[in-house]
Amino acid sequence: MAGCGLILNSMEHFFSASTTVYLRALFILNVAVLTVSIASAQDKSGETIYKQDCLKCHGAAGEGTKKAPQPLVGEKSPAQLATVIVRTMPDDDPGTCTAVDAKKVAAYLHDAFYSPDARAKLNPPRVELSRLTVQQYRNSVADIIGGFGKVTKIDQRHGLHGEYFYGRGFGGRKPLLDRIDSEVKFDFGVDAPDGSHIVTAPVPEVPKAPASPVTPPKAEAEAPAAVQPVAADASAPKNAGAAPAPKAVAVVKTPEPEPKVFSPKQFSISWDGSISPPETGSYEFIVRSEHAIQLWVNDLNRKNALIDAVVRSGADSEVLSGTIFLLAGRSYSIRLEFSKGRELDKKGLDDPKKESKKASIALWWKAPHGELEIIPASVLSPARSPETLVVGTPFPPDDRSYGWERGTTVSKEWHAATTDAALEVAGYIVARLPGLSGVAADAPDAKTKLRVFARTFAERAFRRPLTDAEKLQFVDKPFDATSDLELALKRVMLLVLKSPRFLYPGVMDNNDYAVASRLSFALWDSPPDQTLLDAAAAKKLSTRDEIAAQAERMLNAPRAHAKLREFLLTWLRVDRFQEFTKDAKSFPGFDSAVAADLRKSMELFLDNIVWSDTSDFRQLLLSNEVFLNARLAKFYGVALPAGGASDTEFSKVKWDADHRAGVLTHPYMLAGLAYPKESSPIHRGVFVVRGLLGMTLLPPPEAVAPLAPDLHPNLTTRDRVTLQTKADACIRCHGVINPLGFTLENFDAAGRFRELENEKPIDVSGQYETRTGEIAKFSGAKQLAALLAADEQVHAAFVQQLFQHIVKQPVRAYGLTLPQKLQQSFSKSNYSVRKLAVEIACVVAQPAKSQQP
Amino acid sequence: MSRTRREFIRHLGIGAAAIPFVLNLPSLAHADAKKKQRIIFMFSPNGIVPSTFWPDEVGTDFKLKESLTPLQPYKDKMLILKGVCDKVRGDGDGHMRGMSCLLTGIELFPGNILGGSNNPAGWARGPSIDQELKNFLQADAATRTRFGSLEFGVMVPDRADPWTRWSYAAANKPVTPIDDPYQMFAKLYGRAKDQKALASVLDDLKDDLKKISAAVGPADRKLLDEHATFVREMELDLKEAEVSAGHKVPAIEPGVRKDNDNIPQISKTQIDLMVNAFAADFTRVASLQYTNSVGQARMKWLGVTELHHTLSHNSGDPKVDVDLTKINHWFCEQLAYMAKRLADTPEPGGEGSLLDNTTIVWTNELGEGKSHTLDNIPFVLLGGGLGFKMGRSVKYEKVAHNRLLMSLAHSFGHRIETFGNPNFCAGGPLPQLS
Repeated sequence: MAGCGLILNSMEHFFSASTTVYLRALFILNVAVLTVSIASAQDKSGETIYKQDCLKCHGAAGEGTKKAPQPLVGEKSPAQLATVIVRTMPDDDPGTCTAVDAKKVAAYLHDAFYSPDARAKLNPPRVELSRLTVQQYRNSVADIIGGFGKVTKIDQRHGLHGEYFYGRGFGGRKPLLDRIDSEVKFDFGVDAPDGSHIVTAPVPEVPKAPASPVTPPKAEAEAPAAVQPVAADASAPKNAGAAPAPKAVAVVKTPEPEPKVFSPKQFSISWDGSISPPETGSYEFIVRSEHAIQLWVNDLNRKNALIDAVVRSGADSEVLSGTIFLLAGRSYSIRLEFSKGRELDKKGLDDPKKESKKASIALWWKAPHGELEIIPASVLSPARSPETLVVGTPFPPDDRSYGWERGTTVSKEWHAATTDAALEVAGYIVARLPGLSGVAADAPDAKTKLRVFARTFAERAFRRPLTDAEKLQFVDKPFDATSDLELALKRVMLLVLKSPRFLYPGVMDNNDYAVASRLSFALWDSPPDQTLLDAAAAKKLSTRDEIAAQAERMLNAPRAHAKLREFLLTWLRVDRFQEFTKDAKSFPGFDSAVAADLRKSMELFLDNIVWSDTSDFRQLLLSNEVFLNARLAKFYGVALPAGGASDTEFSKVKWDADHRAGVLTHPYMLAGLAYPKESSPIHRGVFVVRGLLGMTLLPPPEAVAPLAPDLHPNLTTRDRVTLQTKADACIRCHGVINPLGFTLENFDAAGRFRELENEKPIDVSGQYETRTGEIAKFSGAKQLAALLAADEQVHAAFVQQLFQHIVKQPVRAYGLTLPQKLQQSFSKSNYSVRKLAVEIACVVAQPAKSQQP
Repeated sequence: MSRTRREFIRHLGIGAAAIPFVLNLPSLAHADAKKKQRIIFMFSPNGIVPSTFWPDEVGTDFKLKESLTPLQPYKDKMLILKGVCDKVRGDGDGHMRGMSCLLTGIELFPGNILGGSNNPAGWARGPSIDQELKNFLQADAATRTRFGSLEFGVMVPDRADPWTRWSYAAANKPVTPIDDPYQMFAKLYGRAKDQKALASVLDDLKDDLKKISAAVGPADRKLLDEHATFVREMELDLKEAEVSAGHKVPAIEPGVRKDNDNIPQISKTQIDLMVNAFAADFTRVASLQYTNSVGQARMKWLGVTELHHTLSHNSGDPKVDVDLTKINHWFCEQLAYMAKRLADTPEPGGEGSLLDNTTIVWTNELGEGKSHTLDNIPFVLLGGGLGFKMGRSVKYEKVAHNRLLMSLAHSFGHRIETFGNPNFCAGGPLPQLS
């Protein structure tokens, strides 16, 4: 039964039953159900033939009938359609339709109702009014509030600012050591943290899941005998404790004057700076230490520590964790404090005979798609970031059934979430009012100043200045109604954040501010920043050049990087990957760490190409460069350049130029599109057809379990798949899918290269029918990649998917000829992904008058 | 077997939505046969001055000394227990154990927090009695309340350690008291206040939506029309919530900052909020913690200019004892105010006042400041919540305080065999209470 599930997944039955009919009506390619009884019709037009022979089963406009319910819609070219018709029509007597007639019928129905353009002509899509998507909502709130904070200073260095102190306590003292630590990963042993004593290896072992804090107390194990750090007093007489000694003082008292050297028994360290999460999601932070620690993330005022273990008690775990939701494309303040306390005798006195306890500290995290790892220097900066409000109110997820997040529907749950979120924001602001507004509650002019604050808030939320009427409606009225300033403010926030002017960004006069708004939601999924608003105020967003200049500037921001990366991963359909577990016997060493590394390697690959000078799309399919860390290099048997031998650092290497080419042969894809033990040409082929060629495929007529390899020990995977899909009902789609997937058979289920399978040579020949109806034949991944990289259909699919991801509207809503225009400019720019993104942003920011929403 | 009101109403066949209305009807309230019981733990730090605190007499005929004179009006409702000792030893200094073992009756874990003496320690090894009672009451639908327990504080330092925590949900799980009345207010009434604010802008929201709807094309208007139906539904929900809220939201004075000089104001507000919370039956268990063990209030409003803990190290000095007595007298006034508020509030749906069904336990982490003794920990009980025989001064011969904690539990019907360290529970609940 497990097999059934797999094949179901492989065919991606991800449309729910209720949406299927509608979606099919729009998209589904029908390759097989043209039922035509062909009379002699040599001299007839395609339309006449269709009406005479096809209509009775397929309906007047290809909408389908009981007999052939699948609508005649899809992405095939007329030539490709003709091939299908010749092969399969009429249904009761395939092969009797002549090539000439098939061509005519294909040409007719393609332009009448089959192709996307034809459908768009019949039923022109429009730019629909959309609410903020969940991500846009969260970004909007973060930006509105963030606008009241201080701007971050940019620090190009990576790592955290470490300050090392004698004794305990942090504030107002001069550290003995002050430096940038690229990672927090220290084992001090029983020593002081002087440079000479700092050892970065061995790394504290990977923490297990944090243990339950409530465990029965145990007698503490004696520390192993180690070098006595205080040699001079080591021979003190046994009754030293009885000697008169100064009364022990309270914990945080700092000895005066400040000692110039560390004591191994008592020191403290703070690490401070900011962290930039690579994607939006829940991050688990983990600190491992034996001593007192506190960790704050996105909490500049240190109100609520994410991890608070100042008190270490009994058998509590050394591994402490806290989880926080963070938005990508921003940086957040982070601060970690560590203190090692004195060891004392029974009377509370520093006991020279007692040896220094061991001390270590490591700061880990688990990113949404990552494995547990030491937080890498690449996401750390020693510069602080202002606090960001990340809305915690849960929202229902956005509709993604078209492949991109849409805000074109509303629900009661969504509306309730906007209410809760508005209250959350209002509460947050009121709690931090003096800091955010710069107005003390008891200042004599507080009311006047808070009105200004409220107005700025509303203008940020509406992404433009308020009209006089709006100022009256959203600011003056609430302030005039009560003398309770907090209540007045709260009402303003609720009115503003619940207003359609905020929730529906399309609700706007079509002026420069609307351009700014469309531009920033396109590139950032966020409202415009100050620079963009200033440009709008100066009316400098009128020409295409002005808009393009802003778009280019904005593309360099982390948010644009995050959005483009998110798109590329969507293009690669990685969220449809099956579980990344591999058979331990066949793939020893392929564990969850390798799987997480593969994702990171893919992300680095994508970023590297998109943000290179040429940003050449074709390189995504052609490049044989790959990013590997020590673990991946070992698993895939690749030699890394000297110095690149760590698990945290990825080195760019050229990899097997004879066989590897771009994303198709990246082991993240190959392993993701495979079973735990066997490769899956079907998964891989479906990815090429749907993802790269942008075609839709019908789900299989029935769920089929893959043939068990054990039952066919003499067959290669290719033979087995061919055997399984040879039935007529299967081969109509698998005739397209399989020959594409087979070309990748040189790569096993973990993405390793192989010449043989079960000691049999592997056949990697394949083919596909081009738009002109010719059969292109090729062999192996490299040839396939080369063909795809040059194929206009692949370019067109990429352009359309990028447009829809960026704009969240159908591309033809902005003009029926837009797909071609974009494709032409894509080709003219030598397939620069960045230029395409700018072009799309410009189109959507300043649509032609007739297409404005 | 008595049925709870809720069960009673269920048997009447009234839907859950109607319960809030019905529960306010006095005629049905008597259906709940079992009388409500509440308990409040009140903490003040740094020991007391024995000579101005403990009555000389034992029994019903006793005279209140200077520290306790504010309780004169409640003399027949109070119980003074001398000779109750915190026998818990182990890691941590006297203050730490005094605080963190006071309601837990169990040792601290070894840890990294270093006091003035003894080994460094961590948190207590078990739950405190207030949390134990909370869990007991919350387990039964008849005694379950919205919060179960509320932990109030007054000027508790902004750090967590064994000196600042006395309530524990479990071993290693200290409960943070809320010492900001506005935070407590938000916890108790935030939802109601938010809903009020929301209701006050509803008409404007609807107007706004109408204006925007008129400005978009008919195809897009459909989406906004749908949006408008949700706003109307929200309006109905809000009206319903308003009707069922029942309890009136108290007004508290705005803008009182966390500051030493505002201690009296904060104290009063916290007590008012606590009494209101009881009246609304938000909880049956509460605690109120003044500063912390080693607390350093500077009670300038009494003419005391020295810091409390610093003073306490010199108790026994007659001049210092005058100040320390003033300080404890002030804490006692807070207890008296609390008792007055409870006595002035009728028991909702019941007979008598809140005080008739509430017992306040006022205690301290030390017997005396200078010696840091954990013997003769002050325990003053006030009110009729536990059915003890009140109006007496009782002297025990060095009994472990664990036994008193057990007595409190047993009075709620929670018949635990031991509480905290079992070694201090021999003999069971204390005699001479009922």
